[in-house]
Order: sequence, then structure tokens, then C-alpha cells
Amino acid sequence: MFKNILSKGRRLAGVGSIAAALVVASPAMAQDKEPIVFGGSIPLSGVFAFAGVHIHAGLTDYTSWINSQGGINGHPVKYVMEDTGYEVDRSVAAFKKITGSNTVPVYYGDSTGFMKTIASELNSRGTTLMSGASFATALTDNEQYPYQFVPGPNYTQMFGIILEYIATQGKDGDMPTVAFVYSDTEFGKDPIENGKAKAAEMGIKVVEEIVTKPGSVDVSAEVLKLRRARPDFVVFHGYVLSPINEFMVQMRQMGLDTQFMGTFWSSDKLIINKMGADADGYMGVMPYNYYDSPESGPMLDALRAQAEKSDPDAGYRPTGYIQGWFNAMVWTEVIKRTMDAGKELTADNMAESLASIKDWDTGGIIGIPVTVHDMSFPVGRIWRVNAKEARYEPVSDWIHLD
Amino acid sequence: MDWLFFGEISLAGLAMGGLYALIGLGFVIIYKATRVINFAIGEIMMFAAYLFLTFAGGMEMSPWVALPLAVLGGSVLGGVIEKVMIRPMLGESPIAVVMVTIGIASILVGLVELVWGADPQLLPGFLPRKPVFIGEMYLAPKIAYGFLIGAALLIVYLLYFRFSRGGVALRATASDQAAAYSMGINVRRVFNMAWVFGSLAASLAGVLVAATGGLSPQFGAIGLSVLVVVIVGGLDSIVGALIAGVFIGWLETVAGAYLGGEYRMPATFAVLAVILVLRPYGLFGTHEIERV
Repeated sequence: MFKNILSKGRRLAGVGSIAAALVVASPAMAQDKEPIVFGGSIPLSGVFAFAGVHIHAGLTDYTSWINSQGGINGHPVKYVMEDTGYEVDRSVAAFKKITGSNTVPVYYGDSTGFMKTIASELNSRGTTLMSGASFATALTDNEQYPYQFVPGPNYTQMFGIILEYIATQGKDGDMPTVAFVYSDTEFGKDPIENGKAKAAEMGIKVVEEIVTKPGSVDVSAEVLKLRRARPDFVVFHGYVLSPINEFMVQMRQMGLDTQFMGTFWSSDKLIINKMGADADGYMGVMPYNYYDSPESGPMLDALRAQAEKSDPDAGYRPTGYIQGWFNAMVWTEVIKRTMDAGKELTADNMAESLASIKDWDTGGIIGIPVTVHDMSFPVGRIWRVNAKEARYEPVSDWIHLD
Repeated sequence: MDWLFFGEISLAGLAMGGLYALIGLGFVIIYKATRVINFAIGEIMMFAAYLFLTFAGGMEMSPWVALPLAVLGGSVLGGVIEKVMIRPMLGESPIAVVMVTIGIASILVGLVELVWGADPQLLPGFLPRKPVFIGEMYLAPKIAYGFLIGAALLIVYLLYFRFSRGGVALRATASDQAAAYSMGINVRRVFNMAWVFGSLAASLAGVLVAATGGLSPQFGAIGLSVLVVVIVGGLDSIVGALIAGVFIGWLETVAGAYLGGEYRMPATFAVLAVILVLRPYGLFGTHEIERV
């Protein structure tokens, strides 16, 4: 209880840092250059707040860190955000308010819904490049969303990485079988058709496909279907925690030796913290090194140092934090490349700079150099839960899709 | 047709339906006595589940101590809500009272986010994990034992309403408030008692459902989905809530298993539409229901 209250206290401190984030705008730098504004519609409340508070912390800390490094080509960075409650209309209102009173070259969108909604305005303005919490496949369509990118692999690419891993796990020349379990939401359905096509192409049989209500209370009927299909792997998508735990526990109670995998938002330490020993063996695809992974690198070390500095009591920082930090890293790289080329910070120029990213060393955030393909970073690694150590451990090399 | 599969699916659906019936009972008790549709019932369930999480998780109490304490906490909350926020609304339009319950739901969500945070949670395991087999049919242990605990409370309630003085007073008030008042029944106390008992049933269901499906500040949405149950059964019918709860649970599960998860809700809402056309007052409800 006290731990929860303390944790809540930290969260409130995080919310309180909305004001701090604005103060970050005035770093003690000698330059009198115009600040560069990082805008953001951030879900500090509502259904996505569990991640939003950490995304906000990541963006805030990155802003502090980059300003401590002299800003971007001497320009200080100012992070301006509004809480959206994870509601599209509020996100749109926040976007209009922030871009109405600032020149905002880059912006964090809190959901696929918002990013799709704002796309036409973004396209007509031609001033802002956007990324955010979404890894939606649709957003990597350059024709429709030329000024939006995803800060990692899109969900289809995540499935591709998972299937690449599964393909290596066959025994005696047989390909493993797989079942897809996903929520009945746009988020849940995103990679399914492409995932089935990819599986067929690779010779992996999809033996069952299960769709559940997002807040499903009981999945025992679905578990019974999986009991009959007996897949070697179950891949979850469109969840954060429940009902993954119930599928795993019930299927193991039935004596099945199925292995369980998930995508970005269901591959955080939350699974370990809440499921305990039951989480053992669960695998996730993650494009970034975990905060507590043994890997290091100049940027990963800087992230850890900044996180420690801003909140020494916070301890482990979730993947949402790293995701927020990485978004800002990419923005910085894109702005820097655009400025170095002597071009204006327009959406076209920045999108061009983004597309030019090739074999980019992220300083340990991602374990290998990355190249942008179709407005995404199609790279990831499979990590498995070691419940005893309460951490994810890598079980594959970094996989970079072409 | 695989009859074993059908049997297992049906069993799971019936067991889940038992929990729906318990939540439906919470709706009906309050509506029957006070004519208030409590849109905050899901949030009362959520509050009780968070209390359980605190007692059994944070304070490391035995789950069997934490469970009654959490349920008691939820029922006390119901009583306080009635006394502080609903009673002053007596005589106001039903819409106004419904809006108050919606407001209460929002306040409870905010309170939970403030105290417990927005992270999804899992309750400490307290139900046996050994698979349950009825003949050759498998039933998930959480659902099986959850159903048994819920059924025990249902039986206690039915006996209480049938034989105790308080139960008779509640039924009398539900039947005719003016007559009950003239016979010396403390109607205001009965109102409060209805909220306490309704919230108690919902609180127990809240802990049992959260033990199966996890907990988050959005958990209360399940309360609204059970609204289908009470409309089908009849808003003022305890028997209706029980039968409709079990039936909707079964239908939802069977539809999900054979048609796909995306057909669970359409199946139940199709039944709701048919019932509303054929019997607008529900399967077991009375004609003079005032809808809002």
C-alpha cells in the first residue's frame, strides 16, 4: 500500500513536472538562438496513463539532457505538452493550442486515432513531423502519412521479427505452429492479416486465431479452443497485461508446453511485476535495450544517468520512458541533419532527413546500427522473461528487416 | 459436432453467467427498492477490488480476511453514497438521479487513479489453481470457484429476502412505498439498506471478476455491460437478473467460441433488441417500469 502511495507520489511529481517541462524551456545556455519546440499530446490521465507518465518523463529528461549538451546546433529545446486523457478530441485541441502559439517542427501524438485524425491538417500545414506512441502499420504509408513515422518497427514488422524467431525454433525440420490472439480493436487487428500472409510465406501454420474483447473478463472458452489447436507458439497483440496472464496460466494448467510471445506494449516489466513466477518464459519483441539490461553505450548510459538525476528514487524506467526518449532522439537527429544541410525546418525537409538515416548508431538504445525504411525503424530483438531475476533476457540476435 | 467442447464451453459460460447474475442482483436490489438505476455499480465493484488489492497485496493480509473486508468496504461505500448523494435527490427527476450516479462513477475512477495509479493490476491469487473436471469436462478453477462463492451469496440473499424482517421490509417498500411507510416501515432506512446490500453483491462480484480478468481504473465498464442482463431479465426482478445473467453469460461464451470473439457483444445485443421489442419490461419485469 505504502509502496503504491509512494509510487503514486512519484507519478504526481511527474504530473507536476508539466510545469517543470515548461521551465526546461529556459536552459542556462549562452546562446540567444530561437528555441526549438518539441510539442506533445501526452496521455497523463485516462486509459493509457500507465505509459503516458513514463513517456512524459522520457521526453522531459531528454529535453533536459540535450539542453545540457548545448541544445541542437546551439538552439535550446523547449518541450511543450498538454494532457489529453487519451481522447482524440482533446489531443487535437492540444495540437491546435500548442502549434497555435509556438512554431513546432516535431510533435508527439498519443494514439493512432489522433495521428490519423490530424494527418490531413499535418499534410496541409507542411510544418511539422510527427511520431508518438503508435506503431500502427498504416502510419508507415508514405503516400497517406508523409509526415509521420513510428519510432521502431511497426506492428506488422514486429510480427515479422517474431515469426523470424519462431521459424528458427522448429525441431526435426518441422516448422512450429502458431496461434494469434488479439483484441477486437484497431490496435489489436493491425498486424493480423499481414502476419498471416508472412507466416504462410515462411511455411509457418497459423492453427488458430482468437479475438477477444479488449477488457475481456474470462477467456476460458478461448483457452479451450487453443487446447484443441495445440499451437507451439501463441502471439498476443493489442493488450498490455490481461488477459495474457489468464491464457498463460490456464494453458499451463492444462499441461500444454506452448510458448507465449507479445509485441511492444505487452513486453514491459509490468508483466513480470504483476504475474511474478507465472511470467517466466514469456517473450516479447523489443526494439530498444531494456533499462536494466547489461548492454551499454554512450546514449544508453546518458539516459540512465539523466533518469537517475531527475528522480533518484524511481529505479527501473519502463519501456515507455525509453520510447519517449528515443522519439526525441530521432527528432534531434532529423532537425540536426536538416539544419546541417542548410535547409528550413519544413515537414518535407525533415521527412527527407529522416529517410536519409542509414546505419545510424543510436548509442546503445538499439543494439545495432539502424536504417529507416518507409518511415519506420524495422529492427528488434526477442527477449524472454527470467522471472527469478525479474528481468528480460535476450534470446535472439538483433533482427533488422529489409 | 464436438459435444465435449460444447459442454466445456457451456460450463464456462454458465459459470461466468453466475457472476453476471451477481452483478445484476446489485443493480436490481437498488432499483427495486429505490427506483434508481445505479450507473456507478461498476465503479463500486472496482473500488472493492482495489480494496482487496490493498489488503491482500499491499498489507499482505490473508486473502480470506481481505475478501470480506473489501466486500464490506464496497457495501459501506454504497451506503455512504446513498446517504450523502442520493437521498438529497429524493423527489427529483429520474434523469437527475441517474446523472448523479454517473458523476459518482467519474469521481470513483479519479479517486482510484489518484490513490492506486493508472497501471493495470492483477489481484493476488487466492482461489485454488488445480484444474476442475466435471466428468471429462474442464472448467477453469478461477471461474469454478468464483461461481461457487457467488452462488453462496446468492442463496444467502434469497433466504434473507424471503424470511428475515429486513428482507420483508425491503420487499414491502419495493411493492408500495406509501403502504410500507404507513405500516411503520422506516422507508429511508430501507433505501439505505438496499444500497448497502446491492453494493455488497456488486463488491463480491468485483473481486471475483477482477481475480479472473485483472483490474484497472477502466474496470467499471463491466457494470454497464451487465446492464444488458438486467434489462433482459427485468429491471425490478431478482429472479430475472439471475436467469438472464446465467443465460447472457452462456450465450456470450458460446457465440465467442463458435462465431469468434467479435460476435460476443452483437449476440447479446441482438437478444436485448428482441426482448425490448417483445417484452419492453424484460422477461420477468413489471409493466410500470419507468425508463430513463
